[in-house]
Amino acid sequence: MPKVVIKYIKDKRKEINEAWMRKMAEELPEFPNYRAPNQNLSNANDNFVDVIYTYLLNIENTDDVRDFIKKIMKLEVPINYLSIGLQVFRRVVMEVIKRSEKDPENLLELYEHTDRVVEPIFNQLIKDTTETWERTISIQKSELLELSAPLIPILDRISVMPLVGTIDTERAKLIMENLLQGVIDHHAEVVLIDITGVPVVDTMVAHHIIQASEAVRLVGSKCILVGIRPEIAQTIVNLGIELDQFPTKSSLQRGIEEALKITERKVITITEGNGKQ
Amino acid sequence: MISIQIELDDHTAIQFQEDLLEKIHETGAKGVVIDLSTVDIIDSYIAKILGDVVKMSDLLGAKVVLTGIRPAVAIILTDLGIRLNNISTALDLEKGLAKLKQDLGG
Repeated sequence: MPKVVIKYIKDKRKEINEAWMRKMAEELPEFPNYRAPNQNLSNANDNFVDVIYTYLLNIENTDDVRDFIKKIMKLEVPINYLSIGLQVFRRVVMEVIKRSEKDPENLLELYEHTDRVVEPIFNQLIKDTTETWERTISIQKSELLELSAPLIPILDRISVMPLVGTIDTERAKLIMENLLQGVIDHHAEVVLIDITGVPVVDTMVAHHIIQASEAVRLVGSKCILVGIRPEIAQTIVNLGIELDQFPTKSSLQRGIEEALKITERKVITITEGNGKQ
Repeated sequence: MISIQIELDDHTAIQFQEDLLEKIHETGAKGVVIDLSTVDIIDSYIAKILGDVVKMSDLLGAKVVLTGIRPAVAIILTDLGIRLNNISTALDLEKGLAKLKQDLGG
């Protein structure tokens, strides 16, 4: 254990602290005295160094870097601030050591030890933050998938799949599976795919939609693409996407009319009074 | 009209192709319903044979309707780019037969 370095850090605490503050102000002029939320009196810089010290002073009995990182994260400062803060801290410590240690052999060794003190903090910091990010992203992804692609039976033999949001390959796969399973489950003869909520239709999205409708045709049903907005129509034509082989309608309403026609039905108004249909 | 319910694998596929064409020729059937609801999975080889069978039947003057294609099979077929463009499909055997009647009648 690089105890000598720890001893230096302990003994020269005031000196290091001041130098660190000064350097941080140079490095990050935008946070000269960064105030984290909920901290009215003391500023985050003080807290930051405090936390580092608490960790370093206890490093002999516990090596729990994780705890330390948790404390740092609680300060609610931006991650780049933490990383620069740690780097500056290391540099300051090295300078302090350089001033008091004359023997070059020793100096080199102490440098290395300083590195060893700061390194695990860095590693853990990066590990923890990336883990948090990845977790958040995967949670969001699965939530998105849940909202992703419901197939709703609206009338006997007619179902609608409203699509909202961007379609990527993973989602397209899910859409396809839900679509086909839904067609089988509901005995849908006509499926309306409503793309009103799809912001962008590029070649890839179009390709997925075409594939889906092709698959729907294979299981013995029919696909109608509805909800094509003017700008989507422009993109489709400008990109040269061929949607010739399957029917499109501007709105869900038109789509339903067409679907009724295909299934040989129609909506009629019951005239009041004579009760005739 | 012939309705066939089959479980396809590499060995039976060719056999199936020959039998079917032979039967069409014998009976002079004008329409064939191939029911694939027992086929859970399909590979490119079987898919190709299937496409071929449809074309061959067409040559013999028999109209083919495929029924009961499962979602997984449909996905594989489209992923493989097997279009089966001019083939009628239906959800189940009953509807397939209805469709065939309609197609032949019209």
